[in-house]
Order: sequence, then structure tokens, then C-alpha cells
Amino acid sequence: MTMNRRDFLKVSTGASGSLILAVSIPGCASVQTGYQPETGEWKPDIWLELTRDDEIIFTLARVEMGQGTYTGLTTLVAEELDVEPGKIKVKFAPVAPEYRNPLFGLQLTGGSTSLASSWEPLRVAGAQARQMLIMAAARVWEVDADQCTTQDGRVVHPNGVDSLRYGQLVELADREVIRGKVPLKPRSEWKYIGRKGGKLDARAKATGTAVYGMDVELPGMVYAVMTRSPRYGGKASRFNRDEVLGMPGVTDAFITERGVALVAQRYWQARKAQQKLQVEWDFSEALDTDTEAVFEGYRKAASENSGVKERSEGNVDKAADRAKQVVEAEYEQPYLAHATMEPMNATAWYRDGGMDVWAPTQAPDLGRIAAARHTDLSPGKINIHTTFLGGGFGRRLTQDYIEEAAAVAYQLKVPVKLIWSREEDTRHGFLRPAMLHRMKGSLNDGELTGWHHQIVGPQVLDWYVRNAAPAQYPWAPKFLYDTLGRVGLMAEGIATPKDISAIEGAIEYPYQVPNVSVRHTHTDPGVPITWWRSVGYSHNGFAVETFMDELAHESGEDPLQFRLKMLDGEPRHREVLERAARLADWGQPAPEGRARGLALFKSFGTYVAQVVEAGIENGEIRVYKVICSVDCGQVVNPRIVEDQIEGGILFGLTAALYGEINFDNGEIRQSNFHDYRLMQMHQTPEVVVDIVDSEADPTGVGEPGVPPVIPALGNALFALTGKRQRRLPLTA
Amino acid sequence: MAFSLTINGQRHTVDVDSDTPLLWVIRDEVGLKGTKFGCGAGLCGACTVHVNGQPARSCSTPVASVDGASVTTIEGLSEDGQLHPLQQAWIDQGVPQCGYCQSGQIMTAAHLLNNNPSPSRQDIVTAMTGNLCRCGTYSRIVAAVEAVAGSVGHYQPAGEDA
Ligand code: FES
Ligand code: FES
Repeated sequence: MTMNRRDFLKVSTGASGSLILAVSIPGCASVQTGYQPETGEWKPDIWLELTRDDEIIFTLARVEMGQGTYTGLTTLVAEELDVEPGKIKVKFAPVAPEYRNPLFGLQLTGGSTSLASSWEPLRVAGAQARQMLIMAAARVWEVDADQCTTQDGRVVHPNGVDSLRYGQLVELADREVIRGKVPLKPRSEWKYIGRKGGKLDARAKATGTAVYGMDVELPGMVYAVMTRSPRYGGKASRFNRDEVLGMPGVTDAFITERGVALVAQRYWQARKAQQKLQVEWDFSEALDTDTEAVFEGYRKAASENSGVKERSEGNVDKAADRAKQVVEAEYEQPYLAHATMEPMNATAWYRDGGMDVWAPTQAPDLGRIAAARHTDLSPGKINIHTTFLGGGFGRRLTQDYIEEAAAVAYQLKVPVKLIWSREEDTRHGFLRPAMLHRMKGSLNDGELTGWHHQIVGPQVLDWYVRNAAPAQYPWAPKFLYDTLGRVGLMAEGIATPKDISAIEGAIEYPYQVPNVSVRHTHTDPGVPITWWRSVGYSHNGFAVETFMDELAHESGEDPLQFRLKMLDGEPRHREVLERAARLADWGQPAPEGRARGLALFKSFGTYVAQVVEAGIENGEIRVYKVICSVDCGQVVNPRIVEDQIEGGILFGLTAALYGEINFDNGEIRQSNFHDYRLMQMHQTPEVVVDIVDSEADPTGVGEPGVPPVIPALGNALFALTGKRQRRLPLTA
Repeated sequence: MAFSLTINGQRHTVDVDSDTPLLWVIRDEVGLKGTKFGCGAGLCGACTVHVNGQPARSCSTPVASVDGASVTTIEGLSEDGQLHPLQQAWIDQGVPQCGYCQSGQIMTAAHLLNNNPSPSRQDIVTAMTGNLCRCGTYSRIVAAVEAVAGSVGHYQPAGEDA
């Protein structure tokens, strides 16, 4: 790798007078200083800064929402730089093309991609910085750079005694030119990767000092609440403006595209005024569906249209004709909300012809487009400041809450924080799509000869591309945004990646079956949807692994053996399945009143097998134990892998036991945690996370814990009761 | 209306509507943002503080009902600027994921240990189960409380691999 040095580093004239070495790694193609000689300014797209005061500042381009990027990605840099991860200061990235996630061409955090996509470039960045420091020291000492080593933020002289702090070297280091590739540390020399290091954000989060979107405070700030149409797509046409404006503290009240905005000096005043608000809605384009109607529509679509062929081997129809037994099943999964612990919110300030937005967002560049759409500002005039996120799970990939804050702030002269109530968060969110699955399996004397899987439901990208496509072309004029969105859809696979949100996990059906067919019947009932911790994998995992269990049962075979015999060419699948079964004492009887079920599912490149032990107590499903074996390649921080897998398991169990968003005439029935329940501590099972030791490149762990636990629980309940449940959530 | 409260040992007089929940007084009038808004309905525990030594859901506590009371928030949990043993245990065990629920979790746990310095596992679960965590950190919370339970005063931070 050759470094294209654009310019020597300049001493900054700031108050601190400190000197900065900046390395930017666009893609990983070259290394440049962040200093712009033309303007005398620092480019914002810096990844790593080392100052004369020995400060090391790492710009985190993947947001921290609990999934551990703050620690995980910093550890990668720290390892190669040879400093303790805790010594590095982490700062959240602004919007800049360099911070895009290369897998999406967008600056977003999702799809369990952060570690996988950063694994190489961040270590390279750390290694290059370290190499430059070594070269500088070698020049000072007039020794061979290869003879110098580094330790805890210092370059050590070949004599093993003398050393120089990185801070003493940054100015000189900037003049060094690296030719060729800088070798990365061999695995045997890792000090931080693979160890249960502490979480770098734990202290801030245990002391209440971590700043979430909700905690942003600005001078003269006012508060806004938005009253949205009870039915998605409705528009406010009129409201009792004079009355609400007369309420204490209320300063502004106006209609926006998203509903009626009330602005007050204090949050509670805005909420109280909202109680008095009377809105006349235009429901002409509003959603009017019921949950039952959604599934009826799905069934009708499934029967009328066999859908697009997404995978096909052999001939499933012939296999069915020749089979001794054909098994069919239909599965239903409801809409689901994300219920992030921090409700949606954003703070915006319009001044001097530009806008600053502070928000807990998973996609700051999309947030910028969202704000631009709802103002007359061009994206270049909008700065997005990302905070800590009180949970994301895909919800904060959709930027509706930023649209609202921007639209309101654009009418005001002061900063405004717009806060959603929990009820609003549950009722006006974008949801994990409801889906229908039709399965058909052909069995011949215990051998599975045909597998047919028809997936029925919408695609997430249809809803997402609206802001995502323009974000890829931020220079495009705004009147083109909607066109770009449509083009993005039409040119799927070219302008935007192919949308696999409906079929992911189904097309990778891993079992060796001679005739396989996976089809998608695309039908969209108009309910707003988005990504959700493991999206397609979550519903396909349930369909595939429940049906495998049904087929095992029909062929009179043990669910473990039934699967294993079809996994000959899939060693990583096999290994996690065998390990989980062994750890769970599969084959031994479960304790009295309990039964076990298993499931195996790969998602986001990670292989996960789970065995659930469950029973029914006092008319309620009780999950006692979840054994989980996971192969996610090289582990950077085992503690975070355990957390993410366990968190995913509880997330999946919550969906399996309680998760359901229902519509009555276009209105969502659920509202708060009493009717959209989350798993509580007393319901939490013992979870064992067993991690396969692997040197393969790391894969994601934020989501893969979710999909298998839902069918594994269903399969356990079948083993317990003999009654097969084909609809979620499960009932006792 | 004016109300007067002692928050983390400091006296504050605030002028707000009498039905304003204590949560928004703490966050927006006094400016302490560690106490979180999760549900506004007493259902999640993210807003838990101590009022006169008792845990309270500040989102559902009108300020008028606690006029003159003494309130402790996560910022005031430890008195001398040191970490409370629970906070230290939270760090050692790496409890927080998104972290949003954790102020409330720690405040609930602190009250438990104040009343019962060596709770059983069952005591911990009973005391803590009203505090929701969407990220699913429950097992680490139990481990952190157990690490402190019975050892307040001679608390040993856990080793690296604990
Ligand atoms: S915010 Fe008070 S209990 Fe949820
Ligand atoms: S750590 Fe995220 S809600 Fe508890």
C-alpha cells in the first residue's frame, strides 16, 4: 500500500497549539493527512488523530446502540497501535462519504456488519499510524526502524531502554512515507483482540453521564410534540389552534406533513396542550386495514401468484408426485414494533441559513436527506450530530423523527427538542413486516426429497429507498429525490442492492435436499415497515426450522439426527448443532414437565444452533434454559459476543411469547409496555453461550441470536404438548 | 407554582405546573439527565429515583406530591464523587448494552441493598423484575448485584475475566 502524502502536517493555531497527525482511510485505498492546504482547515473525515499531548482520538463511524461498536472497533485500532483500548477517546462521526458503510454505500449501522466491514481497514489504519511513529523514532535515533518496537503508546529503542512517547513523535511521523504494505500483527501477538476487555462506555452508562438524543440540551431550547394521524397516511386539515395556543407555555402550533406540531416552553406543557387538541383529519389516503385483512390478502396473493423464483434446484413438483408423503404447513407472523428503550426523539436548530440536528440515528446521512426534504435547505447545509442510541434494532434506520424535528425547527428561531411518548412510539413506528409462509415437504421413507417455501409479504427496501437513494447522491437536486427513490427500486441490484429482506435465510436453506424451491410473492398492504433486529431471518428462521421439525416428526425421526444427516457438506452448521446438542444433553429426557426443542440457523454470516428447554406453568409458557452455540469467526471481545447473543435470544423470546402489533381499521391497538410486553427478569431463562474458537474473518453478532430461538421454543412446546403452533406469538 | 426539593443534597426551587412529573423537573429544570424517560406510565423503571429513601417512578410522580422531599438520582448515588460499589460492579461486569435503562436499574438495586445487604438470587429478581431492559442485560445485572451483595464495605472489583 502506498501512501499518497498530500502535504506535510501544519501546526494548528488553536488555543491548545497541539499538533495533530490525522490519518484517513477512504475505503483503505490510501492514507492522507486530514489537513487541507488549500483552506488551512481540517477535513472532518478523520479516523484517527494523535496529538502532541498523547491524546488518541478515534472517530467511530458506526453508531453505538448497545451492540458494542464503541468498544469493539476501538479495540481493533488499539491493537495495531499498541495502546490500551481505554486510552483512546472515541468520538461519533459526522456525515461524510468516507464514513459510509462500504457494504451499503451509505453511512448506516445495521445488518450486523460493523465489525466485519471494519476488521481489515481499522487494523490497517492503526498499523499504518504505528509504522509512521516507528519510522520517525528510528530517524531520531538513527537506527533501523525494523529494530524498533512499540509498547503502550511508546516507541522503544532497539537497546530496549530508551523510548519516545507517541506524542513526542507525531510531528515527525507525519513526514514519514510508507511504501508497500504494513504488516498486521500476527494473531499470536494480540493483546486485546479475543480477550474479555472492559466496555469503554460502561462507566458513562453506569453513572448516567452518557448523552443520548433525549439528553441534548441547548440554550433557549423549547419542546415539541407531534400529534400524528391515528391511521397511517392521514393528513391534518384543521385544528383548534386558538385554544391550544392559549394554553400555558405554548408558543407555536402548526400543521406539518406529519401532523400537528405543538411547541411549548416545557415538555409537560406541550403534552398538556396536546390533551386539549382537536384535529380534523383527512383520511382519504389513510390506512384502513385490519390485521385479519392483511393475512387474508396474503393468502389470496399466495394462491393467485406463486411469486418470483428466488432459488430453484431439481423439480419440487415431481418430487411431490413421487413422494410417499407430502407435508404442508402455513405459518403466520405478526407485525412487530422495536420498542427501543429510548423513545424516538430529535433536536434541531435552524440558524444562519443552516441546520444542526442532534439525534440517536443509525443512519446520519439519511437523516440529513430527511431534514433536507422537510425544509428548503440543501443537504450540505445540514449537520447531523449523532448521540448514543438507547437501542436501535433497525428502527432508527428510518428517519421520520428527524423529518419532524427538522420541519418544526425550520419554523422557529430557537432550538427545539421533539419527543415521542411511548404510546406514540408504539403506534406510529415502522414495523417488522407481518409475513405468511407456505411450506411443502416431500418425504420418502424418512428422506426429504423436496423442499418448497413460498414467502408472502412486502419488501423493506420499498419503504426505505425513499431516503436511501438520495443519500447516495447527496449532490442531486431535491426535486429528484422521489425519482431517485423510484429508480433505486427499478434498478435494484444496480443503483441499490437487491432487496433480500423478505427472503434472507430462506434462500440459504442449508440442508442437502435434491429438489428445492424458494419463491417470493410480493404483496404490500401499505403498512409502514422497516428493518428489525434480523428482519427476514427472523420470520424465515421460524418457518424453515419449524417446518424441519414437522418433517422430522412426520418421518418419525429425532429432530437432531434428521438435520445432521442432511448437513454433510456444511461443517460449520454441523459443528454448532452438535455442540449445542451435546451441551444440552440432547437425547436425555428433560426434567419433569419440561421439553426441549432445537433450531439451527445461519444469519449475517454467523452460525447459530440453540436448544430451548421450556414448560408451561400456571397457564404461561416458561422458558428455563437456552443453550446456544455460535460460530462468528474470530472473536474480538468475547464478553460483547456473549451479550449480543444473549440479548438477541431475549429479543427473540420476547417476540415469540408476546410480540404482536395489530390493526383495527388502520389504527394500532397496542400502546405501551402493558400491552406490548417485554420479557422481564423473572421470566428470563438461564442462557449459555458457547463460542466456537475460529480464525475465520469475524462476522456479525448483533442479530444472529434472534432467529433460531423462536422456532426452538415452538419446537420445544410441540415436544411438550404434541400441539403444533403455526402462528406467532406462541400461546400456552 | 413554586416547589422546593432537595436533590442530591442540594436545595432547588422550581416553578412549574403542579402536575409536572418529577422526571421532567429533574431532567429539564434541574438539568440532571441521568434519569431516563422510557414509558411515562410507571411500566419500565427507567426513571427510577429515590424519594426520601424509597424508590419511585419519577415519570408518574407529580412534583406537588413530593414538595419538600429529598430526592436522590443516579448522579447523587455516591456521595464523595467516588463510584458507588454497584456502579463499579456494573463496569466490571460490563452490564450496559445501550445503557438507557441502567440508571433505573442501578437505583432499584441500590435501594435493594440498602434494605437487604445480602439478598438471595430470588430477592434480587423480585426487586429488579419491574425494571425492563430491551437489550436483555438481566443476567449481567444479577451478576453485578451479587458481586456487591454482602460485600458492601469490603468490595473487591472482579478480575478481568470475571
Ligand atoms: S419512564 Fe417511568 S416507569 Fe417508565
Ligand atoms: S441496556 Fe439497553 S435497555 Fe437496558
